[in-house]
Amino acid sequence: MARASDAELVGRARSGDRECFAHLVMRYQRTVFHIAQGILANPADAEEVLQESFLKAFQHLSEFRGEAQFRTWLVQIAINEARMRVRKYRAKLHDSIDERPEDDERFQPRDLRDWDPSPEERVAGEEMARLLERAMQALPRSYREVFLLRDVENLSTEEAAEALGISVSATKTRLLRARLMMREYLAPHFQPRWHRRLLQRWIGARGTI
Amino acid sequence: MIGCQDVLRELSNYIDLEVTEELRRQIEEHLRACHNCTVLVSTTRKTLSLVADSRILELPGDVSQRLMARLAAQWS
Repeated sequence: MARASDAELVGRARSGDRECFAHLVMRYQRTVFHIAQGILANPADAEEVLQESFLKAFQHLSEFRGEAQFRTWLVQIAINEARMRVRKYRAKLHDSIDERPEDDERFQPRDLRDWDPSPEERVAGEEMARLLERAMQALPRSYREVFLLRDVENLSTEEAAEALGISVSATKTRLLRARLMMREYLAPHFQPRWHRRLLQRWIGARGTI
Repeated sequence: MIGCQDVLRELSNYIDLEVTEELRRQIEEHLRACHNCTVLVSTTRKTLSLVADSRILELPGDVSQRLMARLAAQWS
């Protein structure tokens, strides 16, 4: 069962096989949770979105048309749920409801030093995960959504565009900006390469720092 | 000849291997002569590889159990 395709599981879940739906849940719960967490930046809200999304997906399974992929459809539900919550909070704050970044606005990279995470930094899992979370939260929401779908959850550009309800070209533009902004955010957190090379040469010559 | 702004515009497509053979050749020719663009490509790749390797993908605590319990309650 674990190896069955999404289409097979959906087909059987539609005819009432809950175990098949549970397999789909196991397969995509992380994706849905991380998309919700990325949009809302709050684990408790993300968990509610996770539960609501799967409940809605189950209730509306008969409306799912086979031409789309189940994953894309599910991600669409999760994004709508998460956006609804953002709107609710924003309305409470009397803030503008939608954030519309200018897609034709140019983003110029500023930090052009080369850098490398050290092997210790690469294995410092928790710390690195927190740094990346902060970097993602610093992105405008519409860029963050594209980045999450493409670079964290590995959806194709076409799938991401469909799930977000935007064109492929807007998806690509936002992805480029998001990647550049992530890079810019991370740069000051790592040592520049020349610094590391100099340090290694110094340690090599003296045997110690 | 392409310039730094062209490389910047095509950066994502180049990293995702979604440029034509001819454009790839032109970008690489530019990169051989341009330190800033080489750094830009390399550090953007490192950014994506850090994201891909990160524990960002783990599901916290017993979120999964609570989800299954909610579904089960709905079904019963």
